[in-house]
Amino acid sequence: MDRYELRRLDYSLTEDHRDLVTAYRQFFDAHCGIETVWAAEESGFDKALWERLCAMGAASMAVPESAGGDGATLVDLALVAEELGRAVAPVPWIDHVCATRLWARLGGVDAEAVDGSRIVGLDPRLEVTAGRRLIGTAAVADRLILRDGDDVVLLEFDTVGPRVDNLGRLPMAWVDPAEANRRSVLGSGPAAIAEYQRALDEWRMLTAAALAGLVEQTMTIAAEFAKSRYTLGVPIGTLQAISHPLANMAIVVQGGRNLARRAAWFLDNEPQARPELAACAFVFMAEEAGKAATMAVHIQGGLGVSTEAAATAYLVRARAWPLAGGDPAASARHIAGIIATRETELAEGA
Amino acid sequence: MDFSTVELDADDAAFHAQVREFLTATVTDEVRRRDRETGDNFDEAVHLAIGERGFLEQEYRTKSGAGFSRVRRRIWELEKRRVHTPWVTWGTTQLVAHAVEMFGKPELVAEVLPGVFTGEVRMCLGYTEPEGGSDIATCKTRAVRDEGGSGWIINGAKMFTTGAHNCQYVFLITNTDPEAPKHKSISMFLVPLDTPGIEIQGIRTVDGDRTNIVYYSDVRVDDKYLLGEANGGWTVLRGPLDAEHGAVAADADGLADPAIMAHQAGFMSAAVDAVAAHVGTPGPGGTRLVEEGSVGYRLGRSAARLEAALSTPGIFGRVAQAQTMREIGPDLMDLAGPASVLPLGTAGAADGGAAEYLYRFAPLAGIYGGTLEVFRNMIAQHVLGLGKPNYSPPRR
Repeated sequence: MDRYELRRLDYSLTEDHRDLVTAYRQFFDAHCGIETVWAAEESGFDKALWERLCAMGAASMAVPESAGGDGATLVDLALVAEELGRAVAPVPWIDHVCATRLWARLGGVDAEAVDGSRIVGLDPRLEVTAGRRLIGTAAVADRLILRDGDDVVLLEFDTVGPRVDNLGRLPMAWVDPAEANRRSVLGSGPAAIAEYQRALDEWRMLTAAALAGLVEQTMTIAAEFAKSRYTLGVPIGTLQAISHPLANMAIVVQGGRNLARRAAWFLDNEPQARPELAACAFVFMAEEAGKAATMAVHIQGGLGVSTEAAATAYLVRARAWPLAGGDPAASARHIAGIIATRETELAEGA
Repeated sequence: MDFSTVELDADDAAFHAQVREFLTATVTDEVRRRDRETGDNFDEAVHLAIGERGFLEQEYRTKSGAGFSRVRRRIWELEKRRVHTPWVTWGTTQLVAHAVEMFGKPELVAEVLPGVFTGEVRMCLGYTEPEGGSDIATCKTRAVRDEGGSGWIINGAKMFTTGAHNCQYVFLITNTDPEAPKHKSISMFLVPLDTPGIEIQGIRTVDGDRTNIVYYSDVRVDDKYLLGEANGGWTVLRGPLDAEHGAVAADADGLADPAIMAHQAGFMSAAVDAVAAHVGTPGPGGTRLVEEGSVGYRLGRSAARLEAALSTPGIFGRVAQAQTMREIGPDLMDLAGPASVLPLGTAGAADGGAAEYLYRFAPLAGIYGGTLEVFRNMIAQHVLGLGKPNYSPPRR
């Protein structure tokens, strides 16, 4: 591609963006402390938190005004996802908004999906298009949207679950599309599959944003610990074996967050221009989040590995949340397919 | 937030076309070939031609509002990169010229600045010492008052004075009070490089560039060449150092790079794009390498890490770029196969030599203008609030 194209590289947030961030940070501070996170581990879901979040408009904001929503941009949603990740909130918001937006694009989305009163789940995997599968939100989703061959289908089950215990503390369950009690085809063929791919890109971008928030929070906790923990008379945070890995985490946060926001901007404004960026953000953060969360635990030593340490809550989710979307290698290969085709065509044209 | 293509009015569009035409005609294949051979990262004819068009002064005056508009500055920057215009010596010249303008005596400013704008005066950085390292305040090069008290005598040696052999002045850190605390012990001079007692020796680096070690033996300079106050060198040095470290926030109009050294990060983009084209081209059997899982995975992961590095702002980005070069350079070479080891410009080089150059350049990117450890210290101390790093006690 033309790397010297005259484009703006403006990552700055508007005042509206900053207000949105403040509102959601305050929301999660008030309603989703670490005790709330722990209390939801049995079910993977905090119903009261979800209802409060929807009452705040977090579900409806994601849907276009033409479909009855409030028409937020994906950049707005990325900012909310960062805050959700920072709080490791036990709510299936990312999956729900991606599924609902997809349903709105394919037509027929209902009001209960728009306002979040009935949860819609999504199969965020790229490589699976048929058969029984494990879905991160299936235990609490009232409806599921997934790909079944060349169809995009909306499924309803009379009995959901049961939830299977899992590392990410997600409301995860096995689903066999063939066993659905009600099945409607939302779309078929290349156009519908392209819309499904877009939902997968949105899921990857938002998950990357959430992981950036997650890493920033576990880094902040570890940095505070490193300031007050002493060895041989000095705070461990003044030792480069501790401070440099923390600096590396700060670098990951800055890069991953900005990349997710840039991917969101392109999805909003010029989806054909940089179709690889959402997967880029995901592949980067999926790899880095687990490493950073492990280092954050390590810095807190024996206290960090305790299940009572917040660090371990971040550790398990950092690894397992992205994995709900499948092997990141599938996303990496998706990126490669896009850029190899683009660069080959450009080289032939030159 | 805005990543859109910039809409240009008719004047700016004409400027864009004019700049591209001028640079394409000036920075020729011959210039690029010569640059690779000498490793100079400077071409006098190109530099003088740019000066003659007034572009040096325009670029230099952007910040003060008397030169290029922000958008023209951005156009100029991108088009220079497009044709691989040698950049290092002009970069150091600008850093020093700003310090001279701010701290130099009026007669020195008058001596230096007009030549900076024509291109005839170039300036380099005399910071690091053979026994020093990244802490430039631990300086052993001494400047002492001469017998008459109207000038100075300098003795010492400096490493990595890149471009010295193409420059007229060196921006030199000296120690003028060994007894004082280190930030009150240094003085800055702008030393004419044709002064007797200066010896420049070339050093070639693994990326193909040339830098220098410069020896100073009883070098006598007039007081005119002292910048700022004696023992007040730290004040003079701060501005150029912050600029070189990239510790200066990008403006919010999106017409600047999010981090410093975007030019160098461009080597990484070029390597990813070249390797993508290589593995996307059908081979003899009609299959494309990228269809193979391990190829697709490594290319996609490399692109992801590149895009993350390019998105990382400020001093964070400074580390991310250099670190990412080291991480993805080897994978990109593997993807290009054995022919990736053929040097830049060789017939048959799989990716035009882009990946092997990235591999050789990556070590440089992690040390010059401050090592990655310096930047990590800065992030840890100033962003995370972890305090100054603790070191073992100094050797007595």
